[in-house]
Amino acid sequence: MPLYILLLLVIGGISMIALLLHRLGKSRLTVLSTPSASHAWNRHFPDDEVYSVILAENGHAAYVETSGGPGLLWSFGADTVGRHLQDYRLSQAPDHLKVVFHDFTAPQVILRLNDKERPRWQQKLAPR
Amino acid sequence: MTGTMNFPDVTQLAVPLFIAAILAELGWIVWKGKGGRYETRDALTSLIMGAGSVASGILLGFLAWGFFMWLWALTPLDLGSSVGVILVCFILDDLRYYWVHRFGHRIRWVWASHVNHHSSQHYNLTTALRQTWTGTFSLVMLVRAPLVLLGFHPAIILLVGGINLIYQFWIHTEAIDKMPRWFESVMNTPSHHRVHHGRNARYLDVNYAGVFIIWDKMFGTFVPEQAHDRPDYGLVHNIGTFNPLRVAFHEWLGLFRDATQPDLTLKQRLKYAFAPPGYSHDASRDTSAIIKAKHLVRHPEDSNTPGFQ
Repeated sequence: MPLYILLLLVIGGISMIALLLHRLGKSRLTVLSTPSASHAWNRHFPDDEVYSVILAENGHAAYVETSGGPGLLWSFGADTVGRHLQDYRLSQAPDHLKVVFHDFTAPQVILRLNDKERPRWQQKLAPR
Repeated sequence: MTGTMNFPDVTQLAVPLFIAAILAELGWIVWKGKGGRYETRDALTSLIMGAGSVASGILLGFLAWGFFMWLWALTPLDLGSSVGVILVCFILDDLRYYWVHRFGHRIRWVWASHVNHHSSQHYNLTTALRQTWTGTFSLVMLVRAPLVLLGFHPAIILLVGGINLIYQFWIHTEAIDKMPRWFESVMNTPSHHRVHHGRNARYLDVNYAGVFIIWDKMFGTFVPEQAHDRPDYGLVHNIGTFNPLRVAFHEWLGLFRDATQPDLTLKQRLKYAFAPPGYSHDASRDTSAIIKAKHLVRHPEDSNTPGFQ
């Protein structure tokens, strides 16, 4: 197959599928509840016992206290990803908090929190 | 032997089929409201990984081809290119695929290349295209050497390898539950391969087959899909990035960081590269064997059930 036809097919096909998925509403982030966050954490870390969950009001992140230590769970497309809060730094911007993990597989998480919940999250996420 | 032989690159020719099948699967899911899940960035990452894999093949394929042609010049055998020879080559190459795939899950050096194929938490036809960019560096091409030395022309070996890959495309779907019983018993199917992509303790390191599931049955790695334990897709330690570069290279980086950390013995460094994924010198991580054992502590009722025998 000539290279230019292959390129047209690949670029055109990828763009068409991505656009179609977006238009079909497949770009929405999953929204967590307290039970679903707890369940999702155990899915990622089955050895942990979840003691408590603090859910962001937008449902896109949860701070969890577990037998394995504190952790952060966040919406990752239609799914979730979790990391224990070890080896990270926290930075602040006017409209969000940013957790930067020293982890090539999960480099950072942007937390969009309202003014009411933000101080509590800042305190919980402050590196110890 | 000398002599030239040319076949079309069937993987490239199948690109329109891949696109049409993805659109058909998506249409089915939207229409029926079941049969799988799609997410935009996940699918986009998978498709870009697929395109990158083709590009990597174009850029680095000459290394494998040069190696095979070097072997071809050495061997005194030439089985020709009859339909029968191509069929036998297809079957033997599928046996080769089984072992390469098994190495891909049991040797971290090879897993570093293969891991990206398992890095999606989704299982749909785009997942099939989430292919490696670094296969050349894993050196699994060496496993094809016996086929060349037996007298199968490298062009035939690449042809059947391409057909093998195309076969495996359609089994990456939740839209098909089970195929007829006779088919399920001989061939790799969506059901068998869903198991392979499961991160459930039960499903770790099983169902390595490419086309014929009989290899798993022969070598003791077959586990049937369990209705009460649906596969949960992704990695044991899921990645939190859609960036294709991170997806492609994360395990290589992890491997080199682990193997070059200070105060390790040479044996420990080698184990970080070649032991099963999850090895750590200080037992701070879990291999699949440990994950299965821990699962049985939490769920002793699963003892002696498929995947825990």
